[in-house]
Amino acid sequence: MSATALGTARLLAGVTRGGRADLVTHRHRHGPQRYRSLDELAADAARVLLLGRGGAAFPVATKLAAVPAGRATQVLVNGSESEPASRKDRTLMTLTPHLVLDGALAVARALGTRHVTVAVHDAGSHASLRAALEERSRQEPLPERVDVCRTAGRFVSGEVRALLRGLDGGPPVPPSRRTLPTESGLHGAPTFASNAETFAQLALLVAQGTTEFGAVGSPEEPGTTLLTLLGDVRTRGVVEVPTDLPLDALLPGEGGPVLVGGYHGRWVRDVHDLRGLGVDRPGLRAAGLPLNAGVVARLPREVCALAEVTAVTRWLAAQSAGQCGPCLYGTAALAHDVGELLHGRAAPAVEARLLGLVGRGACAHPDGTAAFVSTALDALGEDLALHRRHGGCGRPYAGVLPLGPLGQVGQVGPGGAR
Amino acid sequence: MRIEVDWTRCDGHGLCGLLLPENLENDGDGFPLVRRREVADADLRHARRAVAACPALALRLEP
Repeated sequence: MSATALGTARLLAGVTRGGRADLVTHRHRHGPQRYRSLDELAADAARVLLLGRGGAAFPVATKLAAVPAGRATQVLVNGSESEPASRKDRTLMTLTPHLVLDGALAVARALGTRHVTVAVHDAGSHASLRAALEERSRQEPLPERVDVCRTAGRFVSGEVRALLRGLDGGPPVPPSRRTLPTESGLHGAPTFASNAETFAQLALLVAQGTTEFGAVGSPEEPGTTLLTLLGDVRTRGVVEVPTDLPLDALLPGEGGPVLVGGYHGRWVRDVHDLRGLGVDRPGLRAAGLPLNAGVVARLPREVCALAEVTAVTRWLAAQSAGQCGPCLYGTAALAHDVGELLHGRAAPAVEARLLGLVGRGACAHPDGTAAFVSTALDALGEDLALHRRHGGCGRPYAGVLPLGPLGQVGQVGPGGAR
Repeated sequence: MRIEVDWTRCDGHGLCGLLLPENLENDGDGFPLVRRREVADADLRHARRAVAACPALALRLEP
């Protein structure tokens, strides 16, 4: 597992060479476990404009203020990174599990509860966190009860409401009613749930204080962020970068189309469309390119971009929980249409299919899938024309965008020989 | 009042689009397209009938 820091290494301090930080190493680097009162923690999170790092980028201070404190309250660390392109949470939990635990315990103490649950679905994170809890029980026993749970690996199962349902013994799919975890979460109790990186950032904030935390990064979202970079990029894999780093600094030279925000994200034609943008979530959202879980991919010019998009679209269709008709049938029909375009055939219904996915499901999967495909079709105009004229672009499918274990949904085939 | 579709329940019977065309449109597969969420007072009767007629109990009126 490799991870790189460009600029300041904070979350990844000392672990960029791949060695896991045990408790002694972690304490040496980050100092003792520290606590804040709920008011102080919320005020500090508000001062550094900390946003959730899972995908929705919800302000952490607002969420902290919304959870009632008390012994029944639950703290849930969502480490069930279900997008095959993203590796930042599992990297964090595998290499520096104690930072995530420090953050979770600081939140639990602030909320006056002893119930902490960490949900992961990869074996590496699970083993690392279990070992971390063993180390703690020997070296600094705590009154809190920390459970590490393995969860289903489906894409939609990582969404917090689906995760909560699965942890409570139900099907790990999003519920139909719009429930708020802060009101009714784990076991029906009010729950502070956030992404694993969010908790690690909170641990840093508590250890460093707001001034040092905000000494790097964009004024809109101070500090650093974790990204997973794929394809034709400066450094592949998980990187920690200050939030004011220009996005195009990660994508040197010319190159192919760029995907920002992963498989529910959006495509742009090339790096020139990203000029002037940093990697801070507020700035990217304002530019119509939400960072989501921090996946940025650039396709090399030598590969068939349309085949990559087709493969991911098929994977997305296979990831539908199958609960909502417009998503189940709509994503499958969309995948079929994108396949038609790949082979140079017409797909006259594709615009209608995209519209038919928007706002018509219990979760964001149909909307995210529509955003991924519609921006891809806009960004790949020239490729589409080549495929229409020649039945293909002559470039191979390279699988730059990884598909999960559930992704074996048929061969995409090459971009097509002329 | 607003008309809400519970997408996890909807099976695409297609009755609602016929009974509340002021707000809903059939997408061709029987699943409704919500053209307007707010139900006008004059259409409330139609909306209640559509909610009652849904075989999947997937439609509801919310304040």
